Amino acid sequence: MGDQVKKPLHPAAASSQPFQVTDLRPTERLFDDPEGRDRLEKALSRYPEKRAALLPMLGYAQERNGWVSDENMAEIAGELDLTPAYVRSVATFYTMYNKHPVGRHFIQVCTCISCHLDEAEEVFERFLSETGTRAGEISEDGKYTVIEAECLGACGFATAVQINDRYFENVTPEQVPAILDELD
Amino acid sequence: MGYPYSHDLEVGTQLSRHFGDERARTLEGWKELGGYATLPRALEMEPDAITEVVKNSGLRGRGGAGFPTGVKWSFMPKEPNGPHYLCCNADESEPGAFKDREILRWVPHLLIEGCLIAARAIRAEHVYIYVRGEFFPFSAILRDAVVEAYEGGYVGENILGSGWSCDITVHLGAGAYIAGEETGLMSSLMGGRAEPWIKPPFPAQSGAFGRPTTVNNVETLAAVPMIVAEGADWYRQWGTEKSPGTKLWCCSGHLERPGTYELPLGVNLRDVIYEVCGGAPNGKKVKAVIPGGSSTAMLTADELDCSGCYEGMAEAGSALGTASPIVMNEDTNIVSAMRRIAQFYAHESCGQCVQCREGTSWTAKILQRIENGEGTAEDLDTLYHLCVQMTGRTICPLADSVVFPLLSSLDKFKDEYEALIKR
Amino acid sequence: MSDAAKQITLTIDGVEVSVEAGTTLLQAAEHAGVVVPHYCYHPGIPSRPAQCRMCLVEVEGQPKLQPSCVFPAGDGMVVHTTSETAERARKSVIEFLLLNHPLDCPICDAAGQCMLQDYAFETGQLRSRYAEAKMVLGRDRVADDILYFGDRCIVCTRCVRFMEDIAGDNALVVAQRGHKAYIDTFPGKDLDHAFRGNIVDVCPVGALVHEDFVFKARAWDMDSAPGICPGCSTGCNIEVNVKENQVVRTKPRLNPDVNSYWMCDHGRRSLVMMNRGVRAEAPMIRRAGELEPASWNEALAWVAGALDDSSGIALVSAGVSNEALFYTRRLLDRIGIEGGTFQVDQGDEVTLSGFPKLKLRADRAPNAAGAELQGFRRSDGLPDVSDGATLVVLGDALAGAPTDYGANAGFFLYIGSHLVPAAGNATAILPAATVPEADGTFVNYEGRVQRFHRALRSPGVARPGWMFLSRLLEKLGGEPGVREIDDAFAVMAMGTAGMEAMSWAGLGLRGELLSEAGQPAVAVE
Repeated sequence: MGDQVKKPLHPAAASSQPFQVTDLRPTERLFDDPEGRDRLEKALSRYPEKRAALLPMLGYAQERNGWVSDENMAEIAGELDLTPAYVRSVATFYTMYNKHPVGRHFIQVCTCISCHLDEAEEVFERFLSETGTRAGEISEDGKYTVIEAECLGACGFATAVQINDRYFENVTPEQVPAILDELD
Repeated sequence: MGYPYSHDLEVGTQLSRHFGDERARTLEGWKELGGYATLPRALEMEPDAITEVVKNSGLRGRGGAGFPTGVKWSFMPKEPNGPHYLCCNADESEPGAFKDREILRWVPHLLIEGCLIAARAIRAEHVYIYVRGEFFPFSAILRDAVVEAYEGGYVGENILGSGWSCDITVHLGAGAYIAGEETGLMSSLMGGRAEPWIKPPFPAQSGAFGRPTTVNNVETLAAVPMIVAEGADWYRQWGTEKSPGTKLWCCSGHLERPGTYELPLGVNLRDVIYEVCGGAPNGKKVKAVIPGGSSTAMLTADELDCSGCYEGMAEAGSALGTASPIVMNEDTNIVSAMRRIAQFYAHESCGQCVQCREGTSWTAKILQRIENGEGTAEDLDTLYHLCVQMTGRTICPLADSVVFPLLSSLDKFKDEYEALIKR
Repeated sequence: MSDAAKQITLTIDGVEVSVEAGTTLLQAAEHAGVVVPHYCYHPGIPSRPAQCRMCLVEVEGQPKLQPSCVFPAGDGMVVHTTSETAERARKSVIEFLLLNHPLDCPICDAAGQCMLQDYAFETGQLRSRYAEAKMVLGRDRVADDILYFGDRCIVCTRCVRFMEDIAGDNALVVAQRGHKAYIDTFPGKDLDHAFRGNIVDVCPVGALVHEDFVFKARAWDMDSAPGICPGCSTGCNIEVNVKENQVVRTKPRLNPDVNSYWMCDHGRRSLVMMNRGVRAEAPMIRRAGELEPASWNEALAWVAGALDDSSGIALVSAGVSNEALFYTRRLLDRIGIEGGTFQVDQGDEVTLSGFPKLKLRADRAPNAAGAELQGFRRSDGLPDVSDGATLVVLGDALAGAPTDYGANAGFFLYIGSHLVPAAGNATAILPAATVPEADGTFVNYEGRVQRFHRALRSPGVARPGWMFLSRLLEKLGGEPGVREIDDAFAVMAMGTAGMEAMSWAGLGLRGELLSEAGQPAVAVE
């Protein structure tokens, strides 16, 4: 991951940067600085239509700010010749774009069928109690938000938990405190 | 070999041979392991010749539908009047399926090679690998491999000096199971809601950006290099007449050894569950299996003696799907399992067709009430009624997908439902 | 021969029909006299998402029911739109749509003109087995004047696609997905497009309503008449909805040559505005210094006697019918007044990008072309009235005039519907019906003569201008006055360039272009 900072971004990778990260670099305007503009241009270069850069740019907003605000949407709309309403329609369709800020560590516990057959609900409850939050809320210290997720694609390694851009697998309720300790 | 366990029944083709070996994910390591050996040959073949080999091999789409891949490629125009596109469907979101991620994280260069060969066959010069947004760790590995491949001259302009150019873009989704449906995927790729569209037009006529497009699953494309290298007959040494080759079986649920295994198609499902995966742990009996990922009909423990191939699973009253058996032991509350499955579909419905938009949510609510002990006999009638009303009426088969497990659970585990119905 | 010209034959509900290749089953069914129930399909909106699933029909040989709005008719196809499977599917769509529906017909404006109600009754899907709590979305504002009732919405996306395809403004979208989907604008950016009102017309249910119509009238309490919008020179074909002798709503009426299925918001308001102001309800004559009411006979006889050959001017409105303008010209000829002018308010032009022929045009009056045909000319501002001259005013031409305008006239004949301040200077007031209170015709910007029809009763004894002006001419020695619009039109057509071959009946509800002789001077876009 350290390499990403040193090497210039390859255009083929412009649409695949993780967008749920721990270290945010908040910015009001996405494309007024060189990094954002570079990301936008490299993404645009991969598609025959501007609109196709929409998901990558929504991801970029969240990569920087941790969530996607109306202002971000309006700015993206302007760059891609779309209406803000359209951008919002797309952003609200997808589960992963946060429409509100979340805790520094966004903890998503899969409770779908294979994890449900394991102890997913208990893992979820344990995360809630250990972080002192209710589902979807930000903890008082701003560190955690815990939600249930649909299938994370780690069914053979139940229970699966996604925390920002990391996967934790074979999670049992007993392991929860240690996992939380490991997070900064 | 399988990951994280392996078994004698497995076949270790290029597909899974290097699962678990971190060397395989770098360009250098992959080449040392004999990777990218087929690409130079494919670059000298005519596109239709590549399609011919794949057609003859009988390779069928590994994303669940099982459509013959060579036939799908042959739908693409032979004389392009503009760009063609190949979309690699790495949106793996089907509950129970977790095989494509293994390819992404262990052998990304195999996938890249497969994409390039497939692109050449369909006369495409840009491949979009659409990876589900959640797969950050795995898409990062793939992405780094793509960049390495560009730097090594395997992707981009004038590949390996052949004169042929092809780009690859790794494109992340953002949390929508329905983006795994081919028109939903293209709709999302173009910067829209992942809303499937009616066919016609078919993707090979008008797909991504209005251009002829083929959408193939990760596992399908990853099998292409070895098929082109070794030939159709070689691939057909495994499997059945109608379902040739090997398949990644990803097994989950109540199992001793859950994980991914490469097995020949036609393997007996019983053997998969008990031999390969060791059956249910702690001496428990198996009660039910959903064999192909959650969109397939449930089988009872007595019904597992069937051939693990497309036609065999259909004969058994279910479907091979993605070959992702979800195993439930004797303690499993079938109603609860079904409720959780229904909730998944309700969450993932795109909302265009009312049968799916309202039906999946209604189904989940009824099942929750039954599970809570607040169900009535009428509710069971309603569930049967819903199964009829949600079948065959929608733009895409998401609504049908909830019916398969639901109807089979109602038929085969009626007693569990009735036990929860209040008197 | 190209494919497009190829004729194919198929059977729909037992009826054989012949259509052009490329026709959809739904369109082909119309030829068989069958209207397949549908929601998301709209004949005026090009996109066909086929997502409402209401139009599914059985096609022999197809394993599944097919959406007839997009499925192409094939030669030899046999289609059943009312087979048991098709009807069961249709009924089930209604069941699903009503699942979370508030069933608030008693307070919903759409009741009686609602496609959900209609099909619920048609399919017989009248009972619900839903035992869960219904989702509640509530009410939202999508424009200054348009409300969205999310609970009633069936997410057919007609409104979204009207804005995108026809208005060219992707400002209305579907937010969220699945059973949480609803229609919304971007926060802080309500719709303000000049043609946004059409989203209410295309909404098949009561999810989108005009705020100025909400709770005003029930569908069954309204009468309606076909009309022509008086808002600008386009002449959109409209339907005037009336309750208790008041215009409560204006809706567009299909005319493929003028306005397709649409009209602009300015037009929607213009007829309603006509209800306002003080009306002239009885003839008034100034026999002995003060204006006094008189009967028609008395008033017409007195005016005929008082008007003589003298110099004078005429001032007309571009908002009155051809018939009224024609008879006014006849009157002016008879008493020796030449020329005559009219003013037209101007406004910004707005084109409906998805049907570019339809614009809110700069001329904010419906009949400038008609006025010109009768020899009246445009002017800026009001003409001066010389002392003692005869002043003839037709229509709403003195709305902004100074209070003393015409006070110095020798004889000031005011033929109008509203008693504006300047009308107080008149020597005689002949009360005219407004546009919605009479039959008549307009000529639009491209020379199309179109009929409008009486939707309201006039107050008092006000009458259509053509009716009493023809009587006035009779009293001045002319032909007998006309009492029927057919006759008025016939007399006018004979004497008006470009209309000679026309008749009231012949115009029908789509209108007819003037023949070359009468084409408007202004170039037509």
